[in-house]
Amino acid sequence: MGNGKKITMQEAVELVKNGSSLTFSGFTIWRRPIAFVFELIRQKKSGLHLIEVNGGSHTELLVGAGCVDVWESCWVGHELYGKYGANLSRKVGTKEIIVEDYSHAEMMFRFSAAASGAPYAATQASLGTDIHNPEYDMLGRAGKRDGKRIAKHKYIFTEDPFYDAGQIVLIPAVKIDVAVLCVQQVGEEGTVRIAGQYYSDPEACRAADITIVVAEEIVPESYLRRHADQNTIPSFEVDYIVECPYGAHPTGMFGRYDVDGAFLKDFYSKTRTQEGFDAFAKEWIFGQDHISYLEKLGWSRMLKLRANTALNYSPRR
Amino acid sequence: MSKYATPEEYNLADLLCCAASREVRDNEIVFAGTGLPMVAIMLGQKTHAPNLKLIFEAGTLDGRPPELPTSVGDARCETGASRSSGLNDAFSIAQRGLVDLGYLGGAEIDLYGNVNTTCIGNYLEPELRLTGSGGNPDINSWSKRTVFIMVHEKRRFVEQVSYITSPGWRVKKWPGGEWVHRRELYGAAYQGGPSAVISTAGVFRFDEEEGYMYLDTYHPGKTVEEVKALCQFDLDVSRVQGETLPPTREELHIIHEVLDPDEIFIPKNKPTS
Repeated sequence: MGNGKKITMQEAVELVKNGSSLTFSGFTIWRRPIAFVFELIRQKKSGLHLIEVNGGSHTELLVGAGCVDVWESCWVGHELYGKYGANLSRKVGTKEIIVEDYSHAEMMFRFSAAASGAPYAATQASLGTDIHNPEYDMLGRAGKRDGKRIAKHKYIFTEDPFYDAGQIVLIPAVKIDVAVLCVQQVGEEGTVRIAGQYYSDPEACRAADITIVVAEEIVPESYLRRHADQNTIPSFEVDYIVECPYGAHPTGMFGRYDVDGAFLKDFYSKTRTQEGFDAFAKEWIFGQDHISYLEKLGWSRMLKLRANTALNYSPRR
Repeated sequence: MSKYATPEEYNLADLLCCAASREVRDNEIVFAGTGLPMVAIMLGQKTHAPNLKLIFEAGTLDGRPPELPTSVGDARCETGASRSSGLNDAFSIAQRGLVDLGYLGGAEIDLYGNVNTTCIGNYLEPELRLTGSGGNPDINSWSKRTVFIMVHEKRRFVEQVSYITSPGWRVKKWPGGEWVHRRELYGAAYQGGPSAVISTAGVFRFDEEEGYMYLDTYHPGKTVEEVKALCQFDLDVSRVQGETLPPTREELHIIHEVLDPDEIFIPKNKPTS
């Protein structure tokens, strides 16, 4: 059983073509598919267009490694472990990357629209800000708005035609080639059970043409189907599954392990320059696989991060 | 003995946290970002506003975390929560107009309360790209009141921000970019706007009709003139009420012994520079 969805990490990453639009599960420094991202870097993917409700440490890795041409989102950093995205910031300065800014709610609603098959969303988020400044339509300035995978307009301003509620902004649904989700459990047939906040994962999955789920564990489908009300994503929305324990490290996973703050702080401080990033990649990404990475981290580090199963996090005292 | 702490007993972060927590009223629905805002709101919950409902952007609704989360995506957020869900829920609730108060931060602020967290310098040729907006403009757009907590430096309190990330009282109407009052632009979605800025120098409020910032209180040890000199715009000081109330000993106890004993966001009392 299982419809042949189970593949290896290497095979999963091979499904991502250069130039694809990609999105990920999680929130800033939680439940990001880092093991998958490391493999994207090893396979030297290029020209990626990241479309994210919000960015985080995984964004910084891909941007630092030169895999990304366009980043469309609203925020990047490492929360209190690194106050902004130094790699993205550097590459904005050198114009090696195009950044298209929307607000957080706008990004969420663009995914919701895509997930429900609607061509766009209507909202009154962030009116009056420079996010809506027509001069700052960066994909438009770059001549990339083809009306196919990238919307013809960044925004359309209109007035509420139904209730005269005032100015409304129309924002295009996202077009995602591949969504990569990092979760606690997936069944052999693809049913996903996310524990804790599910962030924008259900919308990211449904919006994408292909969804790859990287799970801490693959469990019997029958186990998940005994309590279908606890499941987050139905089997048929998932195309491929990969088993990869600790696949989100150094980001955290509810109920399994905490964020490795020391690792992120170190990454942030060492990768402010390209040379620093390259040295980091040489040490932690290239020439490694997931097992050797975990061995390098070591038991004592991983046990400190391990969540208490009653609390769902690792208590500080 | 006074219930208020003496200047030797607290630091600037304590003062900011307490001033911020006093902005919340009981029974309000509050949207708090990561960091000091989170401690401030939880302090309010443990003092004068025990029935406030806390929303975290990542999807926790009415959470009661016993251990301080390090970010709103943290597994700690949803302990004791009424519901744990996702961003679509959190932002829909905000757009629906259910949020009374939002706590936010920023790198730069202008006379009208417009805040920048996107870039320093011209957006097209930035001197420094920052984190970007996150939910700052969304929460600020839809809350009845917004409180900004900021480091006060002259380069941060400017005539006009490099980039309006989050809307103040006078904003730009696109696509033309004319300056209009926030109420005029938001129409039926209008709920309110920035109500206070709590900086490391003082507490500022807004003339909501004219749309500009004025000084309400200056922090102990500062003078009105010093605060005025820390703004690039001509700060209105005609309505100053006096010094900011210091933290109480009870508040300090809650911050350091209950909420943040591990000094994740608020260091224990050490001399401030």
